[in-house]
Amino acid sequence: MSAQPAPTEVAESTASLRQLWRSGPAGWNRALTRARVLVPFFLAALAVPLVLQYVEDNSSWIGAQYWTLILATCAMYACLAVALNLVVGYAGLLNLGFIAFFGIGSYAYALVASDQIHQHYPLWAAVLVVGIVTLAFALLVGVPALRLRGDYLAIVTLAFGLIMRDVILELDRPPVLAGHQFGPDGLNITGGTNGIHLVQPFNLPTSLPLLGPVPHYRMYYWIFVGFLALCIYFMLRWRSTRTGRAWVAIRDDELAARAMGVNTFKYRLLAFATSAVMAGIVGMINAAQIFNAFPSPNFDVQTTVMVFIMVILGGLGSIPGAILGAIAFTVPPFLLQQFVFYKYLVISIVLIAVMIFRPEGLLGTVSIRPRKTMGGALELLTAETAIEASELPAVTDTEVADLEAAAGAIVDDPEWKL
Amino acid sequence: MSGRAAILEIRGLTRRFGGLTAVDRFDVDVNEGEIVSLVGPNGAGKTTVFNLISGVLPPTAGSVRLLGRELLRLPAHRITHQGVARTFQNIRVFPQLTVRENILLGTHHWTRSGMLGSVTFWPGTLRAERAAQAEVNTAIDLFRERLEARLEDPAFSLSYANRRRTEIARALAARPKLLLLDEPAAGMNPYERIEMARLIRSMRDRGLTIFLIEHHMPLVMEISDRVVVMDHGVKIAEGLPKEVHSNPRVVEAYLGRRAASA
Repeated sequence: MSAQPAPTEVAESTASLRQLWRSGPAGWNRALTRARVLVPFFLAALAVPLVLQYVEDNSSWIGAQYWTLILATCAMYACLAVALNLVVGYAGLLNLGFIAFFGIGSYAYALVASDQIHQHYPLWAAVLVVGIVTLAFALLVGVPALRLRGDYLAIVTLAFGLIMRDVILELDRPPVLAGHQFGPDGLNITGGTNGIHLVQPFNLPTSLPLLGPVPHYRMYYWIFVGFLALCIYFMLRWRSTRTGRAWVAIRDDELAARAMGVNTFKYRLLAFATSAVMAGIVGMINAAQIFNAFPSPNFDVQTTVMVFIMVILGGLGSIPGAILGAIAFTVPPFLLQQFVFYKYLVISIVLIAVMIFRPEGLLGTVSIRPRKTMGGALELLTAETAIEASELPAVTDTEVADLEAAAGAIVDDPEWKL
Repeated sequence: MSGRAAILEIRGLTRRFGGLTAVDRFDVDVNEGEIVSLVGPNGAGKTTVFNLISGVLPPTAGSVRLLGRELLRLPAHRITHQGVARTFQNIRVFPQLTVRENILLGTHHWTRSGMLGSVTFWPGTLRAERAAQAEVNTAIDLFRERLEARLEDPAFSLSYANRRRTEIARALAARPKLLLLDEPAAGMNPYERIEMARLIRSMRDRGLTIFLIEHHMPLVMEISDRVVVMDHGVKIAEGLPKEVHSNPRVVEAYLGRRAASA
């Protein structure tokens, strides 16, 4: 007798769900990035280790620590995917050296929080150092490289990532240039292939009010989730204000963005550097979590590819998509351990299927397939000839030359889009 | 010409592409509050003139002054700051941005809102964002019934004519002193073309100076205060629409060909 209003409510909610389904990926993203979805999501994510602990305490299942660690890895990759989404998804810059910034962050922290060079900075100073060092490297590679477009930028950043890996591997001894040795004989900055060990974790309280003692693994899970929430908050705010609009405008049509007064170089550099600093801080948290900074996987191209796959699978520019991608690539391998041998096979098949059926990614709106139009010349010609052909004189050779020359000079790259 | 101050002065503007001189010692003045049309056969170099004014292409030689300030050799985004906004022949709206965001891009150069202000809800940033949103409302004033319902739709979903309108609204939101319209009526049906003519006039009546390229001669004759004719990169005639229409060189270069082929 109290259930009378239920049917209409159900009808209403299914109707709004159907409408949401029809609104397409752009609508799904908008729905999933509302505060009333994200805040409960993050509160639930923070509660997960407590739930796992409760289940472990009250059943014969053991694995709360194991699964919290897996989820921490998942949150870490989600942070990286969100940071990569800023540079690739928003600003459209193909940064293949992305993971190097993660590695630089972890080594920068390891150097100021271990006995490697006998520095033990407080947390705030370490964050500052990591931020400044990753920013410096981002500017070092970004200022010259961001004058390039598309594929060329990808090649330069890829080279940067590989060079950084070699630098880290070689810096266990003093660098020698043209016969001159820099630094004393025993100089060992990065620890070479061994990496830097005994990195001190963040100096945080080991027990919290109400929650009691907090084990290390749970604390770092919370730190990763908290940092993820912070990154997402930043990304959403930027996207809804002037800076983010300028980034997407540059990605969509750089020439038009310039004509609207956007300093494209400045905004590309902002996106590149911000994403690098985000990745650097993730690297720092990782180094503190595992007490180590390793050259691999911190500088591996495979790790970059992995994060790229997460972003592309989830959808370029989509934040819920990035989280989804990170979950899809970190959790199932542990659930299906007996099939771990087939991990890359399955990943490849999933990825190929997504690219065939949804080239935009699960929640994306931008296709990674190149646009069909060839940018300038072709578009100009078809627009003119198709329209008032009868009213115009025939297209002459000089006109074609003019248009092509003009278009070629304007759009010095074809409208390359990721 | 009419005693009004020249807002745009182009002197000796030249651009070569390899062996092809697309624009050759081109001179023109555009006075404040005027509608000046640039016409000429295809390949005459009209769009190149626009690309040179808006800084999209660097010139080979010459000078372009807006209110006495030299524009050439400024980067394109600085030229927008000086008060020039343009539309493109092959419409260039940002496909993934909504109509509203497209128009907000027009306000980019005169609003101050940075990354830090954005995440900290800094009062200055919020004020800038509110001013930008208010400008959207002003910019679509002339297209209200066409664009208002589509404001939250991505630009790629718009019809051809609505993309044109969005592009013009975006240029208006930049609060330009000089508006460059590159074939605003191309691809429009006769009804939409009449609407466009009215629109261009009402923009002028609101104090804008308009320099436009247009192929549709009746439209040009109808709305222009002055007409400049180009052929092979050279200015061959300039004057009132009536004068230009009966100029034998123009008839030969432009209208004559059409008459011959008819």
